[in-house]
Amino acid sequence: MSRTLLLKACTAMLRHDLTLAWRRRADLALPILYALIVTTLFPFALGPDRLVLQQIAGGVVLVIVVLAMLLELNTLFREDSDDGSLEQLMLSPQPLAVLLAIKVLVYWLTSAAPLIVLSPLLAGLMHLAPRLLPVLMLSLLLATLLISLLGAILMALTITSTQRSGMLLALTLLPLCVPIVIASSGTLVAAEQGLAWVAPLAWLGAALVLALVLAPLSCAAALHIGLDG
Amino acid sequence: MEPMILTHCAAPLLEARALCFKRQDEPVFAPLSFRLDSGDMILLEGANGSGKTTLMRLLTGLLQASSGEVLWRGRPLHRDRSPGDMLFIGHHLGLKARLTPRENLRTSVDLYGAARTNIDAALGYLGLDAVSDEPVYRLSAGQKKRSALARLLLIPATLWLLDEPFVHLDGSGVELMNHLLARHTARHGAVLLSSHDQRVFHTAGIKRMRMDI
Repeated sequence: MSRTLLLKACTAMLRHDLTLAWRRRADLALPILYALIVTTLFPFALGPDRLVLQQIAGGVVLVIVVLAMLLELNTLFREDSDDGSLEQLMLSPQPLAVLLAIKVLVYWLTSAAPLIVLSPLLAGLMHLAPRLLPVLMLSLLLATLLISLLGAILMALTITSTQRSGMLLALTLLPLCVPIVIASSGTLVAAEQGLAWVAPLAWLGAALVLALVLAPLSCAAALHIGLDG
Repeated sequence: MEPMILTHCAAPLLEARALCFKRQDEPVFAPLSFRLDSGDMILLEGANGSGKTTLMRLLTGLLQASSGEVLWRGRPLHRDRSPGDMLFIGHHLGLKARLTPRENLRTSVDLYGAARTNIDAALGYLGLDAVSDEPVYRLSAGQKKRSALARLLLIPATLWLLDEPFVHLDGSGVELMNHLLARHTARHGAVLLSSHDQRVFHTAGIKRMRMDI
């Protein structure tokens, strides 16, 4: 009985957040435009030399996608905290962590997933070797999910503070992004050199499994602590 | 709603024991002890900043008490496990500006696992028929308040915690709210509310509690 209720609450939450995202779809176009514009700027800045671009293509696309998805990160939980919906979620009989996990999923679906769909185009602009494209998309998939989950913890930690320092968010997010970017680009470099590229990807996967379990719980705990201030 | 058989004198619905909340080591209000039984209605009185909202947030479990405890049906309130049997409507109404009142209510109702079929009736009862499919940001302050109060009709909860429920409501809205309060207490529900406007009550049997230190 309670399981069907939880399922009902989860689908309601998913529909609620997706409807909200759809109503502000113009804002959500920003990361996509940003990624497209920055990628088209690279050939202008570095010259149209195919070999030069090809050499850095994977890393550039990776970093651009990560930066573009972070543009939307500080909207996560913010509106909910401002309009009182977060309190209503906390008071509902459903486990908060599960509801927050759905919010993170919607954030990923609306800000990172479109970029992954777009990544073949970005890779094409940078002349990435076509055989590397599947590896790039796979590592983007894992990396963006991981960053969404870790970013959500940081948002939950900073959202309720009175200062709401964007600086704090940036400073704490940077060190968390570094290992993710290293592992993703390690995958690409290995694939480029014809080496086994599964190992770095497996590291990302392992971290993702850990984050999938722990991040929603941490978000819920962080929001509870934050309210006490 | 059936009269509740399980309630007995030993365990009140809600009990506060020497409840105290400190913000930066300053107590927000003097230690409070009180009990709320089913059928009770308590009006919190106190000047601005006397801690009425803070007390309500403590009782919901949103805030953790610095000392003392809150008992819900005789058991300590766990803030990470909400009993789902209380409704809190505060200054922030918990409405999404980009969604319509109907969409907002549908989500609330689904979160509590309540029946969705009554939403139309509740919207009609609160006089929101004409705006039920307009986004909330186009609504007036009173209509927003009515949309949030519609939850009281849709979600079955024993305890209502209402922070200034009469603010922004017009004459007929106040009338409606009073009617809802009277009906809820008659059905063995309990209400704790705060209000600065003393004229708006005509509910008999209201208890008053002063918050000033």
